[in-house]
Amino acid sequence: MTEGEIRSDYQPWLISRRYAWLLAAPALFLLVFFLWPLIRVVVRGFVDPSFGLTNYRQILASPVHLKVLWNTVTTAAIVTFLCLLIAYPVAFAMARAKGARLQIMAAFVIVPLWTSVVIRSYAWMVVFQRRGVLNDALSALGVVSEPVRFLPGAFALNVGMVHIMLPFMILPLLANMRAIDGSLLRVAEVMGANPLQSFLRVFLPLSLPGISAGGLLVFMMSLGFYITPALLGGPQHMMAAVLIEQQANGLLNWGLASALSTVLLAVTIAIYLVYVRVTGGSRAASDTLGGGERS
Amino acid sequence: MLRLLPLVRPVIAAFVGVVLIYLVLPTFVVLPLSFSAQEYLSFPPQGFSIKWYQRLAANPTWLDATLNSLMIGIPTALLSMVLGTLGALAVVRGSLVRASLLSALLVAPMMLPHVILAIGLYPVMLELGLLRSHIAAILAHTVIGIPLVFLTVTASLRSYSGSLERAAMTLGANLWQTFWKVTLPMILPGVMVGGILAFASSFDELMLSLFMTGATTRTLPRLMWEQMSDFLTPVIAAAASLVFAFSLVMLGMAALLQKRSSTAGGGAHG
Repeated sequence: MTEGEIRSDYQPWLISRRYAWLLAAPALFLLVFFLWPLIRVVVRGFVDPSFGLTNYRQILASPVHLKVLWNTVTTAAIVTFLCLLIAYPVAFAMARAKGARLQIMAAFVIVPLWTSVVIRSYAWMVVFQRRGVLNDALSALGVVSEPVRFLPGAFALNVGMVHIMLPFMILPLLANMRAIDGSLLRVAEVMGANPLQSFLRVFLPLSLPGISAGGLLVFMMSLGFYITPALLGGPQHMMAAVLIEQQANGLLNWGLASALSTVLLAVTIAIYLVYVRVTGGSRAASDTLGGGERS
Repeated sequence: MLRLLPLVRPVIAAFVGVVLIYLVLPTFVVLPLSFSAQEYLSFPPQGFSIKWYQRLAANPTWLDATLNSLMIGIPTALLSMVLGTLGALAVVRGSLVRASLLSALLVAPMMLPHVILAIGLYPVMLELGLLRSHIAAILAHTVIGIPLVFLTVTASLRSYSGSLERAAMTLGANLWQTFWKVTLPMILPGVMVGGILAFASSFDELMLSLFMTGATTRTLPRLMWEQMSDFLTPVIAAAASLVFAFSLVMLGMAALLQKRSSTAGGGAHG
């Protein structure tokens, strides 16, 4: 039997080392087509058209560029806040639901995730345009006498972005709320807490991990939005990705586009690191799967 | 579960109802619009016609773009399935040092704004002589497809113990045999769901396609995007409705696979 014991001692290690080698293929692929391009973007921001901080000086000296960066952060923050306000009661109701009711609600949350972002932004254009659904409804109700100009505008932009990000807030919150131990709430009740107290002092604090996971995810993804701001936001509410695309594709100003990308990249990485620390990485991300629905 | 005050429950129910309608509203705007008889976009649409679908079918540009999207999406899904599964096997079964850091790196492409990747990949593809080819778009989309497969397969692998593989190897199977006879049957639903997700994300992707594809390789989202900035006609609504129907079929397939895997003890993801 001693032989068997020795084998079970070293074999798992040997096996796991063989498995570790499998990482080589995806690692090499991501090195060439993910990390290398990112490194080149960062470097290019410092060397194109000339070595130094020229591009960054240009960004700092341009009120337009600074406004776009400011817009990006504030829009992402507003969208995150609105998503949280809207998603919390929905996740709460879903966490309590069972059977067919839960499945119907889940379908309503997941189907939009599978609808193309281009198509959804197009649909919001139809809703918000001058002779669109919303204006027709408003004038039929007698609220407005002539069509309101929603496009382009902050209202349409927020409605469109919240619509795309809402599932990414609902799903982490739902995963978190379903894991909350119901007996803690019963204890609070037995100890004399009224429903409002047991919500504020027990349920809400226990749902904080879900709030931070969903909030960070939504904020991080909102920073990189392109389609929705380009279609619904217009020049007044331009966001970073739109400006970067314009500078690179339209104006062939690759150095400036790279520098702007580096700023966006640095902010995204910083938030991603916090997100990984808060959620423990892939586990939370798999709760929110549905595609990298964005850009 | 939390006990609610009597008035709170109907308020929450009403609020949730409004939010759920908001979530599906865009879809139900596009669908009726595609059957409109009018030349311009108005809602509710006047009259009924299928002329936008006919116009869609008559225009070879749309067919070409659809074919391009499939020619890019299917290889993207296959390549992502291979690379994502290898990554998941290494991270979950490889007892690597800093496995959580590695999985964070493998998931990172999903979180990054696509525009940064696009302007980074553009010169790389230019130097490789691949720009505006299907291959450039396939490689770019695989970068964002790998995390999707990695996550679903990681979840599948975590749903059962690695001792099954260890048993097979102790009994004399090599890594290759163990993979085909033990591991793959267990994780297949996860691999398939990941592949469908990778395909769907490629099929929907705009930014990388804008930089990677050219006039002859442009994808469906890119064509819709170009048409949208030129003129708003219900032709786009017709195309969008078809894409939506296609996505629903894929969603159904993924849901079916997940159901099967959870009854078989797999449980791809939440």
